[in-house]
Amino acid sequence: MSFFPFESLVGAQRELGLVAGLAIGFGFGFTLERAGFGRAQKLVGQFYGYDMTVFKVMFGAIVTAMLGLVVLSGLGLADFRAIAERAASSTYLWPMLVGGLVLGAGFIISGYCPGTSFVAAASGKLDGLATVLGVVVGQVAYAEALSIPAVARFHQSGDLGPLFLWDLLKLPNKAGPPIVAIAITVMAVGCFVGAEKLEKVLAGRADPKAQATPAGRSGRMVFAGFTASALVGLALVALPTGTQAARQASTVTPLDLARRVIDEPWKVRVVDVRDLKSCAARRVPGSECVPPADLGKLGLSYANPARDLVLVGEGDLAVPPREAMAYGGRVLVLEGGFKGWEAFALAPPAPPAPGAAAAEMDLYRLRAGLQSALTGMKAAPPPPAPTAAPAGPPRKGGGGCGS
Amino acid sequence: MERNPDKFWNPYLAGAALGLVLLSAFVVMGKGLGASNASLRMGVTAIELVAPGHVAATPSLARTHAEGHPLDNWLVFEVLGALLGGFAGAYTSGRLKKETLKGPRISVPGRWAMAFVGGVLMGGAAYMARGCTSGQALTGGALLSAGAWLFMFSVFGGGYAVAYFVRREWR
Repeated sequence: MSFFPFESLVGAQRELGLVAGLAIGFGFGFTLERAGFGRAQKLVGQFYGYDMTVFKVMFGAIVTAMLGLVVLSGLGLADFRAIAERAASSTYLWPMLVGGLVLGAGFIISGYCPGTSFVAAASGKLDGLATVLGVVVGQVAYAEALSIPAVARFHQSGDLGPLFLWDLLKLPNKAGPPIVAIAITVMAVGCFVGAEKLEKVLAGRADPKAQATPAGRSGRMVFAGFTASALVGLALVALPTGTQAARQASTVTPLDLARRVIDEPWKVRVVDVRDLKSCAARRVPGSECVPPADLGKLGLSYANPARDLVLVGEGDLAVPPREAMAYGGRVLVLEGGFKGWEAFALAPPAPPAPGAAAAEMDLYRLRAGLQSALTGMKAAPPPPAPTAAPAGPPRKGGGGCGS
Repeated sequence: MERNPDKFWNPYLAGAALGLVLLSAFVVMGKGLGASNASLRMGVTAIELVAPGHVAATPSLARTHAEGHPLDNWLVFEVLGALLGGFAGAYTSGRLKKETLKGPRISVPGRWAMAFVGGVLMGGAAYMARGCTSGQALTGGALLSAGAWLFMFSVFGGGYAVAYFVRREWR
């Protein structure tokens, strides 16, 4: 839940969003400058051990934002998972590992990171300006290099999709983010105390221009704030009316759904909640016809949450059925419902004008391919509506043949 | 206001303040902070002034046109705000000064060259990793993305591995 969902920034709301962006950016730049991040010596001190400011500010910020979001989600004012799925990128194992190492090397060579170089340039540092220019050149050069097939292959390697720490630890959906957040907070505070000790030991070797600021009283107050927020977050998980009630389904565009249905059908489970007759006539390939009244019979709360559940209605589904929201994995709603799907995937796209942009041509080719793939083949008979008893929780013990 | 260029905020308070800025971006915009994608958009704009057809022919560059002009984007405005915020912070603390920050054993042009080279490396690496220290490590880290945490440890690893070899630049 956000006040200006980025995709819907149109007209006046868009301008308001850009003004909000300007204001948030101002806060970003101002805090970075005041932390000392407009000064290269202060930043590189991290890598020579005499000044742990980078580590302290960065982990302090991560812990603050993370705990803040945990508490807001616990109160039902935000949805940690929805924001995480939207604002964090997918995990690409190899590019992120190599990219991190190279960026770290670039950091110590230039003395800034891309964000702080802007702040340094704005405060008159000519080396910061050189870094800003370098980052522009590097971004464009890498984008150009993506036309080399080997680079493009590497860029997509190790694609693990949206992957979060609570997924790795196999934690339940609701309690996952708060539990991981609290573990990270404990770890971070332990590291902060360690960093203070290390700085004391190395204080004599410090560059006078980059003296570390000791934690002092305000530091201890921040630690106390972390502990309090962590406890509040923990208490809110324990409450029965937690994030589950406020959980919202994200949406998926017809384009994304078509891509997924064709490229990786094993990763989605499409459930058509229109009435049986219209679903039997035409539907998204591979979808199950389940009228809302029968959804409870699917036993979704016990189903394996590995696949994303996609709900298809007649038009936009304003309120996804409660039974579907009980599903443990991600729940997505098809934008525009089946009508939107029909208009996108089953209608022939208009050919672009000659000399159109490459992106537009690509989209046309993709849509034309989709349309022929989806309308060219004869629809198989629909699966029967489920009549079996609810699946129920997996039975423990016993089982096997004839039991 | 006291103007002491060598006085900084307490790092933990600065971290908490930065965290609140990030949290407001999450709640108000549903997005995190970022920096390097704005650099790409500036680069694309510059290329278009010189070679207008080239961007349209390169899909990875043409993607910045998806919502209209490459600079008509939230991140560009956020970075513009960061420039203003950095300027205001430097002005009010007495750190606003045209200078080149370096150790005593490197020349000024040498330092510029190193800063540029490091910037090029970071620009490519940030594209590769789907974000830089702001967009990936800070934003993704707070959202508990597995890839962001891998990236963050790699950044520190890369920095520590190279630090010894460039020590003449700083001390």
